[in-house]
Amino acid sequence: MNTLFVIVFLACAALLFVSAPENFLTALLDGASKSATLCCSLIATYAVWLGLMRVWEDCGIARKTSRLLKPALKRLFQTDDNAAIDAISMNISVNLLGISGAATPYGITAAKLLDKTPQAEYASAMFFVLNATSLQILPTSLIAVRVALHSAAPNDIVLPILLTSALSTVLGVILTRIFIKPVQSHKVSAAKKQTEFFKTHRAGI
Amino acid sequence: MTHFFSLLIPLIFFLSFGYALFKKVKVYDSFTEGVKGAIPLVVSVFPYIASVTMLSKLLQASGLENYISHFLAPTFDKIGVPEELAPLVLVKPLSGSGALAVLSELLERYGVDSYIARCACVVYGSSETIFYIGAVYFAGLKRKSLPAAILIALFSYLVSIIFGCFLCRIM
Repeated sequence: MNTLFVIVFLACAALLFVSAPENFLTALLDGASKSATLCCSLIATYAVWLGLMRVWEDCGIARKTSRLLKPALKRLFQTDDNAAIDAISMNISVNLLGISGAATPYGITAAKLLDKTPQAEYASAMFFVLNATSLQILPTSLIAVRVALHSAAPNDIVLPILLTSALSTVLGVILTRIFIKPVQSHKVSAAKKQTEFFKTHRAGI
Repeated sequence: MTHFFSLLIPLIFFLSFGYALFKKVKVYDSFTEGVKGAIPLVVSVFPYIASVTMLSKLLQASGLENYISHFLAPTFDKIGVPEELAPLVLVKPLSGSGALAVLSELLERYGVDSYIARCACVVYGSSETIFYIGAVYFAGLKRKSLPAAILIALFSYLVSIIFGCFLCRIM
């Protein structure tokens, strides 16, 4: 991200320097004020959903969800570690609501705990893919942005998003199941993929 | 369908608060305690949102964005994705707040209810910040399977973009 930021920034600055240097500061200030407005509407959304989530935690709905998801998660991650499963189910529940910022603390805890389980290679990969393919049911921040911009039908996008993220999650889980099997016999091919990956993507990160 | 989702959210609140009352939770105290977390959360993402918004404004003002879009347009056209989505599709795997900034730009420029805007919303809403999650969740953990997992996630992302834009066309 650092490399990308500097390269794009300098490229733009150079272009503007040649074409319209007076627009440079205007563009920066314009961007900053846009982001301030955006953050205000985000505070509003997060206030609503984090409030609700706290109520869930306090009245035991959160713990019940975790117990409900446990059998499925046990099979998916091949682990019996209760603490890890608790963290995973909180992470998933928050993700379903579309507040990925609030999902991060649970996600980090879950990743650390999964790393210590016997099937760590597989479980970590599965947890990553599950998070990286998005599990949203209610795209809350998105609806907030649409409401703020006076959309005629702010909820119109809910169904397509639901179907699309379901597709990407199912696809991701199946591919992980096929290519990163729960048994640790794929070290060689994983290592090969790693070198390939770094060749192509180092610049991007 | 839209009507159903408009009902869903009040229903969730109604049931949650009702259940909390039944469980003798002090709903007001509990709710306000949760709300307290909103500002720190937004404060922690503000620097990233602000920097990327500034960058996206620069991209626009300098005209570089147009070059990039023109360069990618044929490829995007072939897979049925509007070329205007190019910046969003590229930023999303790297930074969620950056993508949110790019998205609100697109929504303002083309109108919230336009076809492009709906596609943009679906791409934004149905995907995740693949590289960010990899960096944050697995910071310090060295698992050999992760690079393969990132490739799987990127592939699923690509498929979901194509599928999402297709859905927007027919729905």
